[in-house]
Amino acid sequence: MTQAITRRAAASVLASGLASGRFPLNRPARAAEPPKDPPVFRIGALLGLGDKANWNATVMQRGILMAVDEINAAGGIDGIKVEAAIEDHQGVPRVGVDALQRLRARYDIQAVLLSYSVVALATAPICEEQKIFMLDGGSVTDGLVGKFSYLYHNRSVASVLARAALTIAKEKGFKKMAVMCASTDDGQSLLRVSQADWKAHGGEIVAVEQALATASNVDTQIAKLRTSDADFLAIWEFSPGPGLVLKRAREFGMKQPIIGVEFTAEIAKVAGQNADGFQYASDYFNPNAGDPWPKRFADAYQKKYGDPPEVYAANYYEGIYVIAELIRRAREAGGDYFKGERLLEAVRAKPRVPSVYGGDMVFQPDGTCLKRVGIFSVKEAKGSFEHFAELAK
Amino acid sequence: MDLFAQLLANGLGNGAHYALLGLGFGLIFTTTRIVHFAYGPVFAVSAFAVWLAVAVGGLPLAAGVVLAPLTAAAAGALVYWLAYRPFERRGMSSHSVLILSLGLSIVLESLLTLIFGPNIHTVPGFAPPIFILGPVFLTGLQIGEVIAVLGVAGALLLFLRQTRYGHAILALSDDRDMARIVGIDTDRISLIVFALGSAIAAVAAVFTLLNEGATPSMGFNPVFVAFVVAVVGGLGSIPGSILGGFLVGLVESLGLWKIPTEWQNSIAFVLLFVVLLARPQGLFAGARR
Repeated sequence: MTQAITRRAAASVLASGLASGRFPLNRPARAAEPPKDPPVFRIGALLGLGDKANWNATVMQRGILMAVDEINAAGGIDGIKVEAAIEDHQGVPRVGVDALQRLRARYDIQAVLLSYSVVALATAPICEEQKIFMLDGGSVTDGLVGKFSYLYHNRSVASVLARAALTIAKEKGFKKMAVMCASTDDGQSLLRVSQADWKAHGGEIVAVEQALATASNVDTQIAKLRTSDADFLAIWEFSPGPGLVLKRAREFGMKQPIIGVEFTAEIAKVAGQNADGFQYASDYFNPNAGDPWPKRFADAYQKKYGDPPEVYAANYYEGIYVIAELIRRAREAGGDYFKGERLLEAVRAKPRVPSVYGGDMVFQPDGTCLKRVGIFSVKEAKGSFEHFAELAK
Repeated sequence: MDLFAQLLANGLGNGAHYALLGLGFGLIFTTTRIVHFAYGPVFAVSAFAVWLAVAVGGLPLAAGVVLAPLTAAAAGALVYWLAYRPFERRGMSSHSVLILSLGLSIVLESLLTLIFGPNIHTVPGFAPPIFILGPVFLTGLQIGEVIAVLGVAGALLLFLRQTRYGHAILALSDDRDMARIVGIDTDRISLIVFALGSAIAAVAAVFTLLNEGATPSMGFNPVFVAFVVAVVGGLGSIPGSILGGFLVGLVESLGLWKIPTEWQNSIAFVLLFVVLLARPQGLFAGARR
């Protein structure tokens, strides 16, 4: 019990532990050779800072910088400082590949935080080939799952999110689903999972309409969805797409409940009052999760940035700590340890790591993690947590 | 049948939007022979001007809307005077001007991103009225756009036919060299055309702002739509631009009645391809002005 509490320690305790190397986790009997320390642990991050929907990249960056500051304030990892090398991928795969190559050329990075499905799909093969350890707290596409041995996820992926969102419809006894989805990889992942899940449930899919994620006109899609006589509409898109869909669906007189997988300030701005009643499934960062670390993080984040942290901030903050923990474990084994391969070995040897969501997070063999998904409801442009989705295993 | 009626209404609404875009773009191209890709950022500038006036400055929406064509006219004229004109004066080829236009479009969009950030800017509290006509739902914006295109086209026709500058524009679009020989100040007329074409685009930009918000990249698609509309309708023809706009809008909407909506973005270009094959001068090229 004492050990469990230690392992769930608050940020400062964890950072101190990283600095001093006192954590008893996975300590080898003896190091094969002395560790070859780099002057600094540089962790790369590819974020969509220049993207149209850069709100999430902004909070990701905040989470990363906060974690780096905390770890360094506590003495770094075993006395060595951490640095974040953040590059902007603008939400564009080609730009993401260039940004990754810059990180490689300038810093020879061994670990990188990825974001955005479409960019992660373009950059992951390069990281895999170059043996760079990857952690993704933003992408949801199933196209990334199980395909890359160096890629791990600390966000729920499409197979979990779509099923969680559909629990809303199942609880209400709905049978006929209409779908509006983005013709992007994450949209298609959500579509595939939801079709299989809904059919297995005995439901009927009465319409599937698609549009580009950046579409500025979805009137035809909404007109077709309206005449499908569905019990509910599922939006398998990420910000800002659902905003226009919600707006036009209500303006076109669709009164059915609408569910989805994300609600952001951008969606709220476009949808306006039409977002009221929208329900969605999402990872849920709860600062009162009964563990000191989430509360400490939430308070510090709120104090520093003036906003409460949400999923993306928490995931990328957590991402830095996960990689820091793996570096520390790899260092204990000695040798030239700050390598992607050694970080991979470390997580494979012990896939359990402390989570800012409370308790430990356990990575699955396919690289995904198990986190509870919350169901939220929108009222007056704000999403409120209702309950956790109960997913059948 | 309900779906058909709704798609028809949508097609008319979208068509009006496209017609506005095609009118401005076509007017500029026909008169100056410049493929004005920076039309997109100018479109965005006018939307941001309204957003600044209403959401930041606290002006009433009606007052803010008036700023759109004025800002766009100034931006369009500046783009011509500072960017295109010096190249023209040096006798650069149309290909060079085309590349300049593309580069300018990227620079201006980046500038907008630096100033406003890449995210969406909306007019808070604006909700268009909804009209229900049997099975058809229409928003005030859709109806407003149809009225706007008819008003703009009427005013433009009057301007071209009844004013000295209008006659000069028509002369320039017929034969630039001959216009110069007979004493028309082609620089000044080109400047006016850029201001006028940009102001027309601003009308469409206001509707986009009110419908979905403004972003620095909001002008990217409209440039291509404007190009398709202008070519399909017949370059230089005002009735052609209007009919071309409605045709593209209706084909895009009704064309998806029975086929999957994944094809939405291809339909306009398929139409362009067919028109270029069958009638390269445009469907309504005979109906000049």
